[in-house]
Amino acid sequence: MRPASFEYHRATSLDHALELLHEFGEEGRPIAGGQSLVPMMNFRLARPGHLVDINRLPLGGIEIDGQVLRIGALTRHEAYFNDPLIARHFPAFLDAVHYIGHPTIRRNGSIGGSISHADPTAELPAVAVLHDADIVVRSVQGTRKIKAVEFFLSAYVTAIEPGEMVVALEFPLPPSASTGSFIEQSERSGDFGTASIGITLQFAGGKIGKAAMVCSGADLFPIRAPEIEEFLVGKALADPGAAEAGRIFAASIDPVDDHIASADYRRGLIAELTRRAIEAACTRALDKS
Amino acid sequence: MIDITLEVNGASKTLSVEPRRLLADVLRHEFGMSGVHIGCAHGACGCCTVHLDGTPRLSCLTFAVQCDGASIRTVESLGGSEADHVLQQAFKSEHGLQCGYCTPGFLMTLAPFVEEMVAQKRMPEEGEIREAMSGNICRCTGYQGIVAAVRKAVTVGLDAGAA
Repeated sequence: MRPASFEYHRATSLDHALELLHEFGEEGRPIAGGQSLVPMMNFRLARPGHLVDINRLPLGGIEIDGQVLRIGALTRHEAYFNDPLIARHFPAFLDAVHYIGHPTIRRNGSIGGSISHADPTAELPAVAVLHDADIVVRSVQGTRKIKAVEFFLSAYVTAIEPGEMVVALEFPLPPSASTGSFIEQSERSGDFGTASIGITLQFAGGKIGKAAMVCSGADLFPIRAPEIEEFLVGKALADPGAAEAGRIFAASIDPVDDHIASADYRRGLIAELTRRAIEAACTRALDKS
Repeated sequence: MIDITLEVNGASKTLSVEPRRLLADVLRHEFGMSGVHIGCAHGACGCCTVHLDGTPRLSCLTFAVQCDGASIRTVESLGGSEADHVLQQAFKSEHGLQCGYCTPGFLMTLAPFVEEMVAQKRMPEEGEIREAMSGNICRCTGYQGIVAAVRKAVTVGLDAGAA
């Protein structure tokens, strides 16, 4: 339960960090809050030869940049709670942050770290997938943006290449007549979820327009539910068929069977969370109409 | 090995550490702060909570080399061996501990919470207290006594402010 040896480097600028990560390749990892990486190192599931400490770089902050909300990689989780931009534009995101870890973890953990760690049921990967966020990664070769749906490849596996690091997330701003919700169930408050469901919907004239749905706990990474997104289009906000949507979705998935929950339990849980998340989002839409 | 300087409970010391050494181990072995308890060593139990530059931090998820120049407080700084800090006294009177292994972590997590509530001049809801301590695990008390201890410490603080 102690990490293997590594060399420690404190980055003095973003360019310095990228040069170090380029030099170390597969053996290099950036470290921010360490709330995900250090447990992995203590278990020796991760054994990087070099850690590049990026904590002192100016990579935090939540701001509107054109048509996107840009969240810097070093933004700590506790910053989302009182952020007016997240509260106004991303109600599902705001719901989700209440399920992230415990107070001490939220004070130190960063969005870039959570996204790079890619726990199968972590909240921020699900939020990124739900909102079609771009993950902005940089290396000495330059910047590239990866769609969240193409970023999470498996449990703890992402599209980040050696030498790259996440510098920001960009969330497209939704139209004003839109809302969302996010619900998670876990064994204990603040633990990784057994399953979670996020919903966003656009609405007009008492009906659902475009909808998006994400589910964690059905697969090794957060997945979208295109069948349900289509099902919801045109449904009345007062009667969206949420229970039916839950049944349809639960019948389409093949969740894992493990020590926390059986596959059957997860399927039932996901059906119910789907119902509740859709109903919560529709209630908010009616309040906003 | 890397040279670092840490200020722990008011005393500064420069020492040479391997990067892989956890802050929790360095506090215990190099500074003699045996009040830093290590439960799970992966951030799930909260036993090793200390204050890093004034705010709670899990010392099992922190490398000592990251803390060069930092100021650290452990449970020893609260009420010393007499344990006379208001929250420690409340843990004692309200049965907030039995075996005591998790107690330093609870105290270091909750002492700033109590201070904040007293500063805001209000008694927190039970849900707020449970949320504040959600990162700490206790296997003895069932948490009821800990919630009561927080309430008592806040009450003492509020009464002192009102007097």
